[in-house]
Amino acid sequence: MTVHGVVIGVLVGLGVAGELLCCLGLVVMRDVYDRLHYAMASTAVPPFLIAAAVLVEEGWTQPGINALVVAIVLFVLNPILAHATARAARSRRG
Amino acid sequence: MNVWLWGATALLVGLVPCGALAVRASRIDALVALQLAGTVTTLTLVLLSEGFNRASYMGLPLALAFLSFVGTLLIARFLGRHV
Repeated sequence: MTVHGVVIGVLVGLGVAGELLCCLGLVVMRDVYDRLHYAMASTAVPPFLIAAAVLVEEGWTQPGINALVVAIVLFVLNPILAHATARAARSRRG
Repeated sequence: MNVWLWGATALLVGLVPCGALAVRASRIDALVALQLAGTVTTLTLVLLSEGFNRASYMGLPLALAFLSFVGTLLIARFLGRHV
């Protein structure tokens, strides 16, 4: 296996492990706000690790740039969702 | 099977706890599970696109990232106001 393959394997592995850790945290936590924390953590680092792996494989071509845009969209838009969900949880609590 | 497809398969396993929580927990907890499931599915599509070496498939996760945002935001607003 080349260095190139090892770098891609490590980046994909870390990204997937991060996502699975967030899924585990979602189940383990008891409060909606704690669960929201894990749901938002899943959009912070793992998408960029996977986008970095695609960029290492493809370079600055259409798939690489697309993967990076997906990571940026997830990173920028999901805090808005977290805010809306937390507001809904608060209003339901009364 | 390459590293991308192994990663996509592992990520699909992450949808199981999200689905279980969406079925068993309260509506607001199910909404959080839906958010995480949307992120996991988006990244799975990125990995599948790369794994099958189809650059044109990469538009799909981008569309899902936007649509998942809009859909979940609408449900959050609805839950906050009416339910």
